[in-house]
Amino acid sequence: MLFAPQEDSNQDESKKSQLLSFLLAGLAFSLFTYFVFAAADYHWDWSSIYEYRQKFVNGWLASLLVSLAALFVSLLVGAATVIIQKSRFLPLRYSATIYVELVRGTPLLVQILFLFYVVADSLGLDNRYVVGVAALSLFSGAYISEIFRGAIESVGKSQLQSAKAIGLTHYQTYRYVIFPQALRRSLPALAGQMANIIKDSSLLSIIAIREFTLNAREVSALTFSSFESYLPLALGYLILTLPIMRMARVIEKRIRFET
Amino acid sequence: MSVSSVLKAAIAIATLVGLVACGGNDSRTGPLVVGMELAYPPFEMSDKNDQPIGISVEIARALGEHLGRPIKIENIPFDGLIASLRTGKIDLIISSMTATEQRAKTIDFSDPYLETGLCLLVSKDSDIQEIGQLNQPGRKVAVKNGTTGHNYAANEITAADVLLFDKESEAVLEVSQGKVDAFIYDQMSTYKNWTKRANTTRAILKPFKKENWAVGIKKGNEELRLQVNEFLRTFKAQGGFEKLGDKYLAEQKEAFAKLGYPFYF
Repeated sequence: MLFAPQEDSNQDESKKSQLLSFLLAGLAFSLFTYFVFAAADYHWDWSSIYEYRQKFVNGWLASLLVSLAALFVSLLVGAATVIIQKSRFLPLRYSATIYVELVRGTPLLVQILFLFYVVADSLGLDNRYVVGVAALSLFSGAYISEIFRGAIESVGKSQLQSAKAIGLTHYQTYRYVIFPQALRRSLPALAGQMANIIKDSSLLSIIAIREFTLNAREVSALTFSSFESYLPLALGYLILTLPIMRMARVIEKRIRFET
Repeated sequence: MSVSSVLKAAIAIATLVGLVACGGNDSRTGPLVVGMELAYPPFEMSDKNDQPIGISVEIARALGEHLGRPIKIENIPFDGLIASLRTGKIDLIISSMTATEQRAKTIDFSDPYLETGLCLLVSKDSDIQEIGQLNQPGRKVAVKNGTTGHNYAANEITAADVLLFDKESEAVLEVSQGKVDAFIYDQMSTYKNWTKRANTTRAILKPFKKENWAVGIKKGNEELRLQVNEFLRTFKAQGGFEKLGDKYLAEQKEAFAKLGYPFYF
């Protein structure tokens, strides 16, 4: 009852056994958490945290807004990069490759510091939120361009030849053959990337952007309580990321049926 | 539900619980664990071989000698020190920590061993002369998370924008690039930061708030607190602080004497 049916059998797990298994797994996690905290011999004090609840709310909203802005811009950056990478003008193509490899090969923390204290400073750009969104977008854009590239290249060669055979132009091939399939295939990975952006936005605290993690750490420092600040922090991120992960799963399933 | 599946689940849970139950640490018998953030020269820092050195490290070692216990230094971020002490990860905090009323609600403090004060580091061409000018809309004030400067700003700086940094170095960089108006920090560090970036920053060393540094001890550990106090008295009587001051802070000592601000052990 607690086991999933064999891969090749066509029966489904019953709702009852699903629920039971889920509860069992939840219980194991709760027990684990309980014993970890019990072993730490910690005196809980939620009252001081409650006083600072506005900081949690503000930080959570800031993280959400920064992540949304970064997601939007990084989609544009990713799309532009993949277009440039497919360009036939080689210097342009190589610039895109260098950008992707540089970004993927260095830590985001270093990129944020470099962008804010070196690049933005020499450009006279002082708004740390703009620079923060730019840093996140450039970082995530490189990954998204790779997702797009992978999706585009996953469209079979025979389809391209067929497209040529029926006389589609280069643009038409992309517009009607490659693009619809590639977009659908890249959706699950894109959703995962969105969750990554939300988590990565916590690194923006290094340039004093008042996002969720920084505010939680501030409350922790002001009230000298760490667990009481970090638990709401973890929950706040889960509220943002869980629906996205869930959505990714659903999309993934639907795509599997369509192809 | 089949018997074997229940058994498997039970074993899985038991393993998890067993793993957790084995945790826990023994105090008193082992070495005395002293927590500090090794990012605050010349008090807490690490040498080229990544070994902890500095005034606080020498104080800790002298304390170990006094008590006849080996000393283990743990490098922990400043804002995590009190939590580490509360959870028993460390026995003592010797990390240039000010004994504030608010901190004293969660942990105990020894007698103070050093008096210093909060002051300002401003950018070279800033018109700011004193703290009163900072608390205005449009001003930007940098503080380091968890420091007394942060506490002061959280309570007193209500009109200006308070920017929170993890590291002192970034806060200083912001001042020198003119991104913030001032950085609220203690006198000795402010002096040091100003000498390093004398062509872009200006130090206003006159303290606007006095504070005392003390050793942090877990709440209720009276025995250790009395031992530390006794050590501090002996160490002071033997001129230990003077010697450390001459060894690490000769330049500051001279500069502060010239300016007429006391800050000494």
